[in-house]
Amino acid sequence: MSLTRRDFLKGAGTGAALGGAVGVELGSAEAYVTELKTKGAKEVPSICYYCAVGCGIKASVADGKVVAIQGDPEHPINRGTLCSKAQAYIQVLQHPNRLTKALYRAPGAAEWQEKPLDWAMEQIAQRIKATRDATFVEKEGDVPVNRTEAIATLGSAIIANEEAYLLAKLGRGLGIVPMEHQARI
Amino acid sequence: MAKAILVDTSKCIGCRGCQVACKQWHGLQAESTRFEGTYENPPDLSARTWRKVRFIETVGEDGRLRWRFISDACKHCTDASCLAVCPTGALFRRPWGAVDLDQELCNGCRYCVAACPFGVVTFNEETGRVDKCLMCPDRVEAGLAPSCVTTCPTGALSFGDRDQLLSQAKKRVAELQAKGEKGAQLYGERELSGLHQIFVLQERPQVYGQPEQPQFAVASVFPSSVTSVLASVVMGVAALVAFRERGGKGEE
Repeated sequence: MSLTRRDFLKGAGTGAALGGAVGVELGSAEAYVTELKTKGAKEVPSICYYCAVGCGIKASVADGKVVAIQGDPEHPINRGTLCSKAQAYIQVLQHPNRLTKALYRAPGAAEWQEKPLDWAMEQIAQRIKATRDATFVEKEGDVPVNRTEAIATLGSAIIANEEAYLLAKLGRGLGIVPMEHQARI
Repeated sequence: MAKAILVDTSKCIGCRGCQVACKQWHGLQAESTRFEGTYENPPDLSARTWRKVRFIETVGEDGRLRWRFISDACKHCTDASCLAVCPTGALFRRPWGAVDLDQELCNGCRYCVAACPFGVVTFNEETGRVDKCLMCPDRVEAGLAPSCVTTCPTGALSFGDRDQLLSQAKKRVAELQAKGEKGAQLYGERELSGLHQIFVLQERPQVYGQPEQPQFAVASVFPSSVTSVLASVVMGVAALVAFRERGGKGEE
């Protein structure tokens, strides 16, 4: 049996019409093609600050929301790769367990209370000042030391270089001696 | 052209970037974990954990401890048992080799769970359907590598044409053997007519929890069907003989 192109198209057209009439959904085969979730998303380059390597990351932002975080293929250090910690970066932004309000537990209390962030900052500032004033040592013997031994600072691997500088500057300004970093614990 | 993932266990440092990349890209839920004496977690591959790095402690011939890692996931077999037993056609093969799953067609019968020789396909109690690694069809069809491969910092995972990866893997095995790694071997070239996730191992597959001779689940169907046909023939003949004898008696 010879089949011309015209016959084939005719047959295919009839088949499609029949299929439509008996309710066969012809579009269903397309469901197998899954769309890339970063399609059309804006790519924002950034740096992972979990560790000292400083890998380049690429955040895909669609409709104002980060949909995926991947390694930046153009970054000279990691060339598109990322470790498990950086791969979980999106959770820093979107994890449901993330705290978004300041919580306060008064001395002796069992319950946490939600407080405004401004109130919490005010409290921290006042308590640091009170502790420093109460424990400040100007001189040890004849040697001027200008320090407090009642406060310590703990840096974080998730703060940027500039923030780390500010933390150190604040610590030195207050006379804090033990200034430690999270990565050494 | 058939695509594949090559897992070179000799380059794996066990960072688990691939494991987390898979979870993030596919939005898979976390699992409750527990400490079992190793850094390895979650306990096993599941419907929510499609790729997982296994940590293996083994003692070599020289009596020294070896710490081996293997990034494990669906092998996308050519002779895929899950695909053969799936009654609804939910499991299907992509033209480029991956064995994929259409969640909408899965009816939760779990034949594939029983059939998979690697224990990869797993039932999800919450959705009432099975789930497994799909080899990121969304990414591959957009010209990208699967998310696990893209993130691998040491180059232990690579993605590409299967033939090319096979020759790359053979070269690596020869390299490792020349270095004195006697156990170095290729896994997945001929197993189940060829896996679409191939491995360069440094020990026997068994050490990594992989079957030495994975079997096609329906391979035993033909011999058992022959036996049952023979059995029914024998029973039929026996019945005929018995009835004949009784019929003979009735006539007397």
